[in-house]
Amino acid sequence: MRYALPTLSDETRAKHAAKGWPLALLGSALLLVSGLLSWSYDDRILGDISIRFWPVGVQIMAMVLGALGVAFALMDRGPLRRVGNWLDVALGLRALSTGVLVFVALVLAAIATEAGGLVNVNEGGWIALVGALLMFVGSRFVPQRELGQMHSARIPGWAEILVIALSMAAVLFLAAYLLNQDDAWLFVLGLAFIIALSMGLARSGFFTWFGHVAQRHKHVLTLAAFAVAFLFPFTQNGSDANMSIATQVLIFAATAIGLNIVVGLAGLLDLGYIAFLGSGAYIGAMMSNSAFATIGWKPPFLVTMLIGAIVASIFGLIIGSPTLRVSGDYLAIVTLAFGEIFRLAMFNLDGNNGPKLTNGPNGIPGIPDLQIGSFNFGDTHNVFGIPLGRFSNYYFILLLLIGFIILVFTRLNNSRIGRGWVAIREDERAAEAMGVNVFGLKLLAFAGGAFLAGLAGTIKAHQDSAVSPDQYLFLESAFLLAAVVLGGMGTIAGVLIGATILKLMPEKLRFFSEYRLLLFGLLLVLMMRFRPEGLVASRRRQLEFHDEDESLAEEVEDWHLEDVR
Amino acid sequence: MDTFAQQLVNGLTLGSLYALIAVGYTVVYGIVQLINFAHGEVFMIGAFGALSTYLLLFQGQTSLWILPVMIIGAVIASVATAVIMERVAYRPLRGAPRLAPLITAIGISVFLQEFVRLFYDKIPGTNFPSAKQRIPFPRIEGVTGTAFEAGGVVVQKSALFTIGCLIMCAALLWYFINRTKLGHAMQAVSQDPDTARLMGINVDRIIVVAFALGAALAAIAGVAQGLQNANINFKIGFTAGLKAFTAAVLGGIGNIQGAVVGGLVLGVVEALATQYVPGQFGGSAWKDVWAFALLIIVLVFRPQGLLGAKVVDRA
Repeated sequence: MRYALPTLSDETRAKHAAKGWPLALLGSALLLVSGLLSWSYDDRILGDISIRFWPVGVQIMAMVLGALGVAFALMDRGPLRRVGNWLDVALGLRALSTGVLVFVALVLAAIATEAGGLVNVNEGGWIALVGALLMFVGSRFVPQRELGQMHSARIPGWAEILVIALSMAAVLFLAAYLLNQDDAWLFVLGLAFIIALSMGLARSGFFTWFGHVAQRHKHVLTLAAFAVAFLFPFTQNGSDANMSIATQVLIFAATAIGLNIVVGLAGLLDLGYIAFLGSGAYIGAMMSNSAFATIGWKPPFLVTMLIGAIVASIFGLIIGSPTLRVSGDYLAIVTLAFGEIFRLAMFNLDGNNGPKLTNGPNGIPGIPDLQIGSFNFGDTHNVFGIPLGRFSNYYFILLLLIGFIILVFTRLNNSRIGRGWVAIREDERAAEAMGVNVFGLKLLAFAGGAFLAGLAGTIKAHQDSAVSPDQYLFLESAFLLAAVVLGGMGTIAGVLIGATILKLMPEKLRFFSEYRLLLFGLLLVLMMRFRPEGLVASRRRQLEFHDEDESLAEEVEDWHLEDVR
Repeated sequence: MDTFAQQLVNGLTLGSLYALIAVGYTVVYGIVQLINFAHGEVFMIGAFGALSTYLLLFQGQTSLWILPVMIIGAVIASVATAVIMERVAYRPLRGAPRLAPLITAIGISVFLQEFVRLFYDKIPGTNFPSAKQRIPFPRIEGVTGTAFEAGGVVVQKSALFTIGCLIMCAALLWYFINRTKLGHAMQAVSQDPDTARLMGINVDRIIVVAFALGAALAAIAGVAQGLQNANINFKIGFTAGLKAFTAAVLGGIGNIQGAVVGGLVLGVVEALATQYVPGQFGGSAWKDVWAFALLIIVLVFRPQGLLGAKVVDRA
């Protein structure tokens, strides 16, 4: 069932088709020009938007959106017409203009609240609004065109790689820009900008094309993504505030990718996954040099890491063993019960109610920073004159870890094991009949996922410098699951996006942290209702949720045929 | 012997509470094969519904006749929540892959908890206390207050109330399922929804009835919980819901007698474990662990539950 805004009938659209295009072009051009004008009399708000011919922040965003609009319009009729044979310009323009309208309205609202009233809006703001409205109305009348098959759209190989590099650079730039906004309004406006931009690009089919390009240049894309992630700390000028958030995002993402093996690939719902992160963290803490550590043996960190991961995967085996007889919802509940048992056990093992291992509710504080060789993670290091602080150090080691986890994930996904998991996910009995070792593979999924989470946990213990049972509530497992579901099950990019959204939002939007959980619950419900396959869905998955969609089925078929060729 | 009898009574009290909530899980599961993870929150809202009724109408009074009115308030709050939940969140997902409703349920559960926590004191036209701390539950003459002793066993009045509620609800439920038209329709739908639809049964309506029935029992459990613990908070639903689900599985999910039996067994096991597990792993600190361990053991060795004969592997 699709819910869409009421749309125009084809007849009305055909009748006014001639007027729509110029309107949309004019609107986009106005938006583009408006960025050069003054938006407000007040020079203290939104980073001084009062000076003419000196676009900053939101004005640049408006110009980018306007430029995209102009480009779309010129793809429909004009010099870029050939591109329009592939991209669905009409849909792109419609989605873009809707986003633009929201964006401009938000800017005006921001000016009104920050400077006190709409009187403070200068000509630029109003022209942008007029442009957005013209775009919105005009794009509704632009007719859709017959499109070519996207997977046969080709540009020279070097140009495709250039597109990848540019996209990655844009991602880095946007991420650094957004994170550096302390002003809540600028952050929100930045988000609105990104949403408008990606809505336009997504509806026009650009991302589909990008997906094909990424498929063709997988290694380039991976390398570019890692280069961007690697460069990120250098954009922070030694500030640790954002790096602290970034490391949290990475730990969360690493764990979520581990969970994605269990849930996304093998289709086993695990509601106690945080316990594996927790067992890694507790092992890391108990074997650390903290004064409260309960184990006398202090092996080098790499050994601790391995022990933590192995302990976690033993727990994984234990929790996986009921899968022999239990499946579906029941398994979910077993894992939930296991997660609760873990938390309660950590809470109780304080010497009074059991052996003294975890110090009970107080946890193990004062865990010193990591020291590998002569490299201490607590120190600030200067690289090319840019200071990299404590969190940057952890960021790099986590980046290595996440690279390893992604490698494991993709290699498993494309292996005999991964195909076995997918077979189990789709139909356990059929898989068994085909000779798939169902029980063994399920156990492997649990143990493997737990191993990765355990690795992340040992680092987390040092980075947080404390562990305590209340970090491992059921809610945290639910958050992990939400990251997987939100981003798209079984995909890497999706989970990374999901994890970033779930960790970044509450940090950046402090005023919203009170309502964080409320919105989180609502988000899960709405997501399942309207886009159960997640933001970045693997095509197969999408088809599972929309099996009545014939054109999607054909597309998936084409995609796979192309793979075979 | 006295300690044993005492723990038995404690266990039965606790178990009655679990049983009342567990019926809700089992009824819904029997009909739509859905684990309504948010059922614990329906129970919590029942407790808050009773509290609100009291604060609005009877502030400061303690007479016994208030109790039925409070129960009605609780039932209205819970049933309304459950019915809206079914309509808005679950019904659109019917036929979707099984993961979807389960994740929705987690979402609803978090949402309801937070909703109560954030907005309970902001409901217009009332001045309820903030739900961010525990809220004292009203004392009612006859069902709270000093305990009495019988043969060396201390029995709280509220415990008698809880057990009494369970007995009455079980009897009414039995009558409803086996003697009324709607009850027969429910049985038919749970056996075979497609055939039931062909026989002219409005399946959608039956599903709503199942949700409402479970919610009503959970609401009564909510009142009983409030009277027993003398205070309530927004978090009571999570643990109670999980335990009740354990009870439902223990008895055999989908089987209503099973839920009652499972609840009582779970309560008794918990109480006895508190008393009789020796050494450091005994005592109340570990009782939840034993309850969950029991759940895992039952699922591994007898997944159909103590009484159930249902096939577990429906996924």
